[in-house]
Amino acid sequence: MTQYILRRLLLMVPVAFLVTILVFGLIRLSPGDPLVIYAGEERDPAVLEALRHEYGLDQPLPAQYVSWLTHALRGDLGRSLRTRQPVTEAIFERFPATFELGLTALLLSISVALVVGTLSAVKRNSPLDLLATGFTLAGVSLPNFFLGLLLILIFALAIRVFPPGGYTSIREDAFDSLRHLVLPAITLATASMAVNMRQVRSSLLDAFSQEYIRTARAKGLRETVIIVRHALKNALIPVVTIIGLQVGAIIEGAIITEQIYFWPGVGKLAVDSIGGRDYPVVQAIVLLSALSFMATTLIVDVLYAWLDPRISYAHGASS
Amino acid sequence: MRPFRLGPLVVLAVVGLVFVACGSGAPAPTTSGGAPTAAAGKPVAGGSVTFVLENDVIDFDPLKSRAFVDRNVHYQIYDSLVRIDETGKIIPWLATKWDTSSDGKTVTFTLRDDVTYHDGSKFDAESVKWNIERYTKTSGSQRAGELASVDTVEAVNPTTVKFNLKTSFSPLIANLVDRAGMMVSKKAFDAVGNPDDFTRKAFKAGTGPYMLTEAVKDDHMTLEKNPNWWGKDKDGNKLPYLDKITIKPIVNSDVRFTNMRTGDAQVANNIAGKDVPTAKSESSLVYQEKPALSFRSLIPNRAATYVFNEKRYVKAVSMAIDRKELLDKGYFNIGVVGYGTIAPSHFAFDPNFKPYEKPDPDGAKKLVQEVGKGPLTFELLITSGDPVGLTLAQIIQAQLKKADITADIQQLEFAKILELQSAHTFKGMTFVGWSGRIDPDGNTYDHVYTKRPFNDSSYSNADVDKALDEQRATADQEKRKAALRKAEQIYVVDDPARVWLGFGAAQLLTNKKLNAPPVYPDQIIRFQYMSMAAK
Repeated sequence: MTQYILRRLLLMVPVAFLVTILVFGLIRLSPGDPLVIYAGEERDPAVLEALRHEYGLDQPLPAQYVSWLTHALRGDLGRSLRTRQPVTEAIFERFPATFELGLTALLLSISVALVVGTLSAVKRNSPLDLLATGFTLAGVSLPNFFLGLLLILIFALAIRVFPPGGYTSIREDAFDSLRHLVLPAITLATASMAVNMRQVRSSLLDAFSQEYIRTARAKGLRETVIIVRHALKNALIPVVTIIGLQVGAIIEGAIITEQIYFWPGVGKLAVDSIGGRDYPVVQAIVLLSALSFMATTLIVDVLYAWLDPRISYAHGASS
Repeated sequence: MRPFRLGPLVVLAVVGLVFVACGSGAPAPTTSGGAPTAAAGKPVAGGSVTFVLENDVIDFDPLKSRAFVDRNVHYQIYDSLVRIDETGKIIPWLATKWDTSSDGKTVTFTLRDDVTYHDGSKFDAESVKWNIERYTKTSGSQRAGELASVDTVEAVNPTTVKFNLKTSFSPLIANLVDRAGMMVSKKAFDAVGNPDDFTRKAFKAGTGPYMLTEAVKDDHMTLEKNPNWWGKDKDGNKLPYLDKITIKPIVNSDVRFTNMRTGDAQVANNIAGKDVPTAKSESSLVYQEKPALSFRSLIPNRAATYVFNEKRYVKAVSMAIDRKELLDKGYFNIGVVGYGTIAPSHFAFDPNFKPYEKPDPDGAKKLVQEVGKGPLTFELLITSGDPVGLTLAQIIQAQLKKADITADIQQLEFAKILELQSAHTFKGMTFVGWSGRIDPDGNTYDHVYTKRPFNDSSYSNADVDKALDEQRATADQEKRKAALRKAEQIYVVDDPARVWLGFGAAQLLTNKKLNAPPVYPDQIIRFQYMSMAAK
């Protein structure tokens, strides 16, 4: 297993390298000059020329790439073209907020999906199942920028129980931090919650029809044991796959959710940087999201082996 | 199962936001003397407020600052040599008086002697010299252009400083109202070391009524009262009144407005037109508005080979547009109708200059026929993902239709439009505003003078250039007024450089619990005059 993990980690290197080339090329292909964009009204050609030279943007593209890569390998991701803040500082300053929101949303999505998904599989076609199906449909169909505004309208403006946005660090004031977290976490979790719930339900239903469940029933095991120990554990493989992919969806969703609730996270930084062609920041964010996505896939694969002992990576073969 | 991607919608939305941030009306600088109070109730000292801003501040350093939004903070933490009052008139500030020599080539300022920076260092003539030289000599300085006329600065004695100019330049004093005249502590600047870091960490670096003590990117900024500020109100009480201002950047205007309605924020100065009726009727809020210095315009490409190289076409478009209808339906009646660059609060404004008061589609039709190349069709570029911009373009399109002029609306990313505009290669017209400057020269010169930086329409008219140079060279207000008006008649009517549509509005929305200061035409709030209302 260790060998497998090491090999997978090694394979991440060329993939990450390809990602850097792609991102570097794509962001520069998109129209717009970051200096002109950030100049706003102050578009003095002489000033722009001086800054272009100072930031190395007058170099040929391959030279710019090599320079960026050699610095990046040493851990220096450059400075933002817009704010002149070191990129690593900009990302790490915002990372805790995004991590807090993303993790809460993921946990919320998984826990609700497991409980409600299981209940609706067990009580198939009951009013609860129908309600859950309706929620799934709504959850997947509602874009989160709309859901976010809807929640603000209801819970911040009509019944004023939660703030309409903003962020308070846990270290500052735990209760206030939680109040601010509720609406964005629900907004972000809803879509993936719906998908996960659906997945739990259908793979459980699939498991219920298997022969080992009939055997377990014939042995006279209690229904709870059958569902949790036998059916659910076997049903989790596809669910884990989906959840792994949901991490990507949550990163994507955070970009919009953070905008709506002015949550000072990496998603908001990404949006600002893409719109303004802040090359160093966009490159770093995409590279880091690609790396975290690859890491998640690896974790998912390792989880498979734990969930189903028949899956083994020992000899590079999976059953 | 959704793949990981940055949806194109997100990109469009972002660009829209950027456009709103850069394109929406934003004016110039200022501050006033005396201590005006607009709201009823005795001011009381103390209290804190939350101010919601339409974007995060990028540069606290006036030298690097490009975005209008930055000035909302600059005006609280820095003092300039001079400022404006709420009518737009230039008033003494750090400089108590100034004299221009008869040839206009030296300006001597007398400085206050009771001013210290937030870090304890003394403000004096040496400090002015250091600041102006930093603005003029640093590579990549955004202030270099505004101070281009300054040759050398001499500290005559601690309270006298002399500017030696290369040529006489009457708009200089107005330029010193804003960032080019803002004084930064050398000690605070040197302490940070790297100028790239200073622009994010300009803590306690000014002499202004508030000190920047904390700045968390995209989250909030904290301004604390400067207990040693020199300003006093009309009763002799020390200013400012409020102890603390928390500034939160919120890009989405709906969310910003919601925060005002729930009372989570108490001050805002950028309210979407559609929300203004609600803002006026909400019992917990006070809405104020006055015409700003910012203008709204359509920019034709007048370069050779492009359709608007023909000046009669530009004039036909200008004649066919119903500016009143556009203001009412497109801008929710926020702002005023206008025809050129000189705004109502500028000294050179001519209230009788109304060349296109009534739309004249028939006159426009005749003008197009006179050119004799068939019907006029052109491409109108607007920013994609900006519903307000699209509505405005559609209203214009419908108005032009009455004159048989076809505006073909094309939506592009804001970055792409800027690129085309800077390269002077857009086909028809673009739709871009200007935040406004205190002196009419700042609203005009660089926009219409041959080959100047903001002359995106590639406009060139020798008579306009001559008149604009004349008004720069004389300090005589009446002569300047005459030259500016003469030029405006040409670049608006006789040989139009653009199609100007009107002026924006300076807005101020405050919670009832506050005594709000008056609104300034530059849209920037004077927090030193704001206080909690006595109970």
